[in-house]
Amino acid sequence: MEATITVEATQPEARDRRRRPSLTQCASWGFTGLAALFLLSLIGVFLWQSLPIWQSSGIAYLTGKKWFYREQIFGVLPMIYGTVSVSLIGLVLAVPIGVGAALCAAEILSPRLRLAVKIGVELLAGIPSVVYGLLGILFLRDWIYRILTRFDPLSGDTLLTAGLLVGIMILPTIMSLSEDALRGVSARQRHAARGLGLTRSETVWSVVLPQAFPGIVAAVLLALGRSLGEMIAVFLVVGRQDNQWPANIFSLRPLIEAGQTLSSKLGGSETNIAYGDPLHWAAIINLGLLLLVMVCGVSTLAYYFLKTDRHA
Amino acid sequence: MQATQSMIYQTLLLCLLSLPLGAQSATLKINGSTTVNLPVAEAAELLRAEQKMEITVDTQGGSSGGISMLGDGQVDIGMSSKHVSKEDRAKFPKVAFKETHIGEDAVALIVSKDVWDGGIHSLTKQQVRDLYESKVTNWKQLGGPDRRIAFFNKEPGRGTWEVFAHWLYGDPKKTPQVSFPEVGGNEETRNKVSSTRGAVSQLSASWADGKEVFALGIKPEPDSGEAVMPTAANIANHTYPMSRPLFVVTDGDPTGPAKTFIDFLLSSRGQELVRKHGYLSLDQLKQRTGRL
Repeated sequence: MEATITVEATQPEARDRRRRPSLTQCASWGFTGLAALFLLSLIGVFLWQSLPIWQSSGIAYLTGKKWFYREQIFGVLPMIYGTVSVSLIGLVLAVPIGVGAALCAAEILSPRLRLAVKIGVELLAGIPSVVYGLLGILFLRDWIYRILTRFDPLSGDTLLTAGLLVGIMILPTIMSLSEDALRGVSARQRHAARGLGLTRSETVWSVVLPQAFPGIVAAVLLALGRSLGEMIAVFLVVGRQDNQWPANIFSLRPLIEAGQTLSSKLGGSETNIAYGDPLHWAAIINLGLLLLVMVCGVSTLAYYFLKTDRHA
Repeated sequence: MQATQSMIYQTLLLCLLSLPLGAQSATLKINGSTTVNLPVAEAAELLRAEQKMEITVDTQGGSSGGISMLGDGQVDIGMSSKHVSKEDRAKFPKVAFKETHIGEDAVALIVSKDVWDGGIHSLTKQQVRDLYESKVTNWKQLGGPDRRIAFFNKEPGRGTWEVFAHWLYGDPKKTPQVSFPEVGGNEETRNKVSSTRGAVSQLSASWADGKEVFALGIKPEPDSGEAVMPTAANIANHTYPMSRPLFVVTDGDPTGPAKTFIDFLLSSRGQELVRKHGYLSLDQLKQRTGRL
């Protein structure tokens, strides 16, 4: 994506010296092409290798609620449920806190303090996810298990644990990008609003927030993309229990039981067993494809909102 | 603290997995079972220091991970706590899997402290089968405390799981499919069982410390007589049913650094490491059973 932007940026310059494309231009085109080629061949290989499962199961692969590989039954619905609920729990935790923190940093803190907070938060974003996973095992798992004793969960490995962990992990993304969006609203608008007699909070609610809204949505969607694909941290605390399709999909009870997400399944040892059995392998590869589609969809949506934001 | 440390170690290993494999060819690359890993990782450390060998030891995917990565040519030595199966050989027809026996281990059903204190010290095979098939879901049904059973199932493909399935159903492929929370490496299993009430899982018997996690004995059927506990003597003379060989696997006879490494494992110092981690060394097996 970055490469594409570079190409666009160099174009006006290139028009002046049309006869000889610069080295930068050639390199940009070359590497952009290479990146696109990688992505396309990746998708191509995934599609090719996942063909057997579509031929044998068809749509039942997506709607099936049982995954018993030794009996060649492959249904991914419980894993999609796991992935979606973990991500939603993460968002429920991270959106209010992240956007709230961004508001505080952008509207209340002094510029110097704001910078300090921002640097701190962006450092948090750079911590490898395995470290979060480790903290999840050491603390979060046991806390959840202790706090929920009344509801008698089977263990501390629950969708809720994974969701909270993911929420903490995506917090910096949401906070930092929302803050950028809020700062992107021009100071003149704020001054105009204050000049019209609006209070500080009224300015925030009726001028700044509406204008920054697409940017905040984009921040949330990018964070969602990260949480959908998160593997190691979730893998360590989600319990990796197959076939946890809830009797009532709106019930909260299944959230304090163990579950399985698309990415935690991919991280497990089953990929080693699947290798060499075309059907099983196709079913596993397809999990990757599903994940790719979900993350790409969410990211595309996020870029759409970012673009809206830029034009505002 | 030990548990925390090994957990950190294991998690860092997980992190390393995401790095691309295939560094210089001079490095001796080893991957596989977390059970075999213990003596092998220590041997690797000694050889690194003494002979300046470059060795990486990883535990991605357990035994089947070791076998398939050896089959793929990604590692030089696979660690396995089960025999290389016919299916594995068929998957990689070009690879001549060669197993080298380095010791013996037992798989036990291990339980958390509350279950052990609640009076469950051994089970019959039928009881274990009911447990695995969720026909019993409360320890009370087996004469223990009134608590839900939290079964942590070892991931299929792990040597531990295969030994368990082989003992219980005769053939891992005929084992009924169940949906339990899954656990991977030995550290993870031990930690999750010790921190969960009513927990049970399959684990290498050498990991049961008798303080936080406890190894159950196997009672003869029908429920009568003395239970057979997974002690060294019982493992060696095969009265305890769930024992398994520990292997390092190579493609053909080991050569070069791989040979140096395996020779070290078979030497008295290497065998000392096998014993140190609670497994039976080859001479212990020979003494007790008169055979290998």
